Amino acid sequence: MAALELEAQLAKTPAIYLVVDTVRQVVDIKARALVLDRLALHGVEVVVYRPFFSSREVPMPSLPAIWTIEAGPGDTDREIVAPKELRPYSSGEEEEEEPPATVAPPQAGPTPTPTPVPEPPVRYRAHLENGWDLWVVDALPAQDLPSRFAEAVRDGWRRLRGEDHRTRPALALAMAGDDARRLHHLMRTGTKILVLATP
Amino acid sequence: MSLELPPAMAPPQKVARSRSWVPVLLVVLAALLLLVAGTALVLARFGEVAFAAPLRPAPAADAPGAATLEKRAAAAQHALERWRPRGVYIVVDTYRNRLRLYRDGELLRTAPCSTGTGIVLRDPRNGRQWVFDTPLGERLVERKVKNPVWAKPDWAFIEEGMLPPTDPNERFDPNSLGDYALYIGDGYIIHGTLFKTLLGRRVTHGCIRLGDEDLEFVYRRTPIGSRVYLY
Repeated sequence: MAALELEAQLAKTPAIYLVVDTVRQVVDIKARALVLDRLALHGVEVVVYRPFFSSREVPMPSLPAIWTIEAGPGDTDREIVAPKELRPYSSGEEEEEEPPATVAPPQAGPTPTPTPVPEPPVRYRAHLENGWDLWVVDALPAQDLPSRFAEAVRDGWRRLRGEDHRTRPALALAMAGDDARRLHHLMRTGTKILVLATP
Repeated sequence: MSLELPPAMAPPQKVARSRSWVPVLLVVLAALLLLVAGTALVLARFGEVAFAAPLRPAPAADAPGAATLEKRAAAAQHALERWRPRGVYIVVDTYRNRLRLYRDGELLRTAPCSTGTGIVLRDPRNGRQWVFDTPLGERLVERKVKNPVWAKPDWAFIEEGMLPPTDPNERFDPNSLGDYALYIGDGYIIHGTLFKTLLGRRVTHGCIRLGDEDLEFVYRRTPIGSRVYLY
């Protein structure tokens, strides 16, 4: 019921929102309560960073809840095009021809941009306003003892060199690489995510 | 008589001498191993590691009576139904560059389209910028035009390295938008294209381009006021 109320809040606005159903293991891309697309999850886990020799309990989020992206990978740096100087307008250059698929742009009209658009990654993280992170990954973190020990040693070495510490707990969503790419551009600042834990 | 030693006597002495370094090597190796293990343990002691646990969410603190729950659920369901689109609507997947046309939830047409590159254009004169993104979210078909004429904005000239013309008549382009245009607000248009080989790719300045037949199909079946969902 709380989930319905929360979704009703989101459906009031014209923005796209995501619904992560941790029980049915799907991510719905929605707007106005309409499912626009659905991505299957391979797994959902809570990930916390803690000392290797610690046995602290893993904190669990209260659900259902609306999470908001504070900084996301969808806010990517963009390629900037800037002509060095502008020449006077000349209408004589307006002849248009159908170009081959990958050649230089024609000289006028809504110019095709041949610049290849970079392919989004399959593993990325978004910072959420509630202090958590949301990970989208193609595989959940390895949990066998040797892998964890190796990771602890690597992290210890990083800390010894004064590199950053990762302390935010995270909800990790494992999905197919192509699905992760499809979600990437929606993971931008302000995107709302409704996280459900009951069918 | 021969004074030579029996052949079996000499080699054992050589073996004993040549193997005398083995214990030393073992000690050195053990010491190295201890050093590496100790260093690893110390590093691991200070390092943190990702522990993953299955999600067992804490229930949200919310336990009103059953009657209240039912009322609230009905109200929420009603609100959702009110917002859900009816009639004809368009859905555009900007990652896969696919446009889908629906009527009351029934899929009428899927078509390849072109959407925005996401590239930024900067005016060298004053630093003004344009982001060639297809907007996300819900929009409405505000108007429909047959044989549309494109009034080229400044960026269309700047991108070509030209100064925008001072004569407004120089901006009109009757060829680029195809036979039909559906205006969805803020200058974004669903229109045709001269560059059909680029359908299915992100090549536009934010508009959605369709092939001729798909555009006509969408134009004829989409009334003004229909909703467009872009994701």
